Amino acid sequence: MVLRCQVEVLYFAKSAEIAGIRSETISVPQEIKALQLWNEIEARHPGLADVRNQVIFAVRQEYVELGDQVLQLRSGDEIAIIPPISGG
Amino acid sequence: MPFKTTSERGAMASREEVLALQAEVSRREEELSSLKQRLAAALLAEQETERLVPVSPLPPKAALSRDEILRYSRQLVLPELGVHGQLRLATASVLVVGCGGLGCPLAQYLAAAGVGRLGLVDYDVVEVSNLARQVLHGEALAGQAKVFSAAAALRRLNSAVECVPYAQALTPATALDLIRRYDVVADCSDNVPTRYLVNDACVLAGRPLVSASALRFEGQITVYHYDGGPCYRCIFPQPPPAETVTNCADGGVLGVVTGVLGCLQALEVLKIAAGLGPSYSRSLLIFDALRGQFRCIQLRSRRPDCAACGERPTVTDLQDYEAFCGSSATEKCRSLQLLSPEERVSVTDYKRLLDSGSPHLLLDVRPQVEVDICRLPHALHIPLQHLERRNAESLELLGEAIRERKQGTQERVAFPVYVICKLGNDSQKAVKILQSLTAVQELESLTVQDVVGGLTAWAAKIDGTFPQY
Ligand SMILES: [Zn+2]
Repeated sequence: MVLRCQVEVLYFAKSAEIAGIRSETISVPQEIKALQLWNEIEARHPGLADVRNQVIFAVRQEYVELGDQVLQLRSGDEIAIIPPISGG
Repeated sequence: MPFKTTSERGAMASREEVLALQAEVSRREEELSSLKQRLAAALLAEQETERLVPVSPLPPKAALSRDEILRYSRQLVLPELGVHGQLRLATASVLVVGCGGLGCPLAQYLAAAGVGRLGLVDYDVVEVSNLARQVLHGEALAGQAKVFSAAAALRRLNSAVECVPYAQALTPATALDLIRRYDVVADCSDNVPTRYLVNDACVLAGRPLVSASALRFEGQITVYHYDGGPCYRCIFPQPPPAETVTNCADGGVLGVVTGVLGCLQALEVLKIAAGLGPSYSRSLLIFDALRGQFRCIQLRSRRPDCAACGERPTVTDLQDYEAFCGSSATEKCRSLQLLSPEERVSVTDYKRLLDSGSPHLLLDVRPQVEVDICRLPHALHIPLQHLERRNAESLELLGEAIRERKQGTQERVAFPVYVICKLGNDSQKAVKILQSLTAVQELESLTVQDVVGGLTAWAAKIDGTFPQY
């Protein structure tokens, strides 16, 4: 049985515009590869595919490469999707 | 009392005269101060030829004068800064790329704190729509180059700070030479190509880059290429597709948000220049002004395969960044070309058609917030987003409006629909959507065209009283 947990996903800048929300709580496996976690989020908001190569993907406020790195998540963990902004 | 005595009338008359004279004095004072500001900017413009001469390094400074001690006393007594730090600031030079919403507060605090030399780069002129956030510029200098307006304001604030205005865009041809003349670079620009250009030039010149940005209610700040930390390309190796980038003109921005970020950026520059070291190297501070929250995100370390700062860099000189990013560094609004000329009408042709009374539907696809600012009363409003999502209620509304206007016209002839937005980009997207809807017969037969240049062109060419925003 896959153990799951509830994490909070925060959307910033363009990703909030695409997702249409600024945060949501989702259920994900406690043990998951970074890329799989991204894919779960992208499945909820397919438009995020447009920015996947330009986002800072942060788990517990730390940058995570979208790759095979296995994450150990706990309920309440914060996932942030941060596309760059360039205005000034 | 039914009428006034002579002496009362005399008193009234002289009071009126006093008020009139006071008004005239303040009008002339205002005029004079505006002339003085223009003169200061003009004098600076005259010196612009100086920029071609390489700026010599600032000489080391051994001690502070009595005046300097008094002026900087509140920061001198901070043990972390002290005389040593202040002397370092006095001999430091900072290049400010962009004199807009970030550059204005940044330069203001750097000049106030006594940084020795500020280079100011901006090709643009002051516009009225800048004044809500670009706080160094005043009404009197609208139309003047931003760098001269900023330099004049900074000179009034602190005459000891040397300001070097560069009234030009930063280009691959000029960036490296310019950046090499300064100790620290602050990226206060407003577009993606300039961000990559400034990054690569800082890596090549070996200069720390304090980079901030703001849009809507959000801001970001990071120090790049400092003490072995990552550069902008380490974090963002590929530029975003041009169509996913929103600028401040389209997306909007609150002046205070750029102000907060510009101040944080000035703080990082000061800490680097004074030798305290920055706080946001290898990390990204994000400011969410709506939630009222700051978050500090730990970033990755330098990317060994980074094209700019990696082990085997491929960026060995500056490239064509506009081509790399697929967008312009100086054009404020990107103009899309989704439609053929036959699918578009000019505002002049549309005005003629409107005056002829020929049956048609004008569809305004701007967001509600913009329709609240101004609208053409005869237009039907359906936001582009609703069309994109094929919102059933909106399509019903559209179908009804078409049927209503079509009454009494020839049923078989395709009914003309004109789509308008702010600038003529979203209207083209909407035309594409309406075409696809008629193709699958979700809507009846239509000829759909968009109005080139949108309501901005309408205000410029047809109706001078129509607001521009
Ligand atoms: Zn790098």
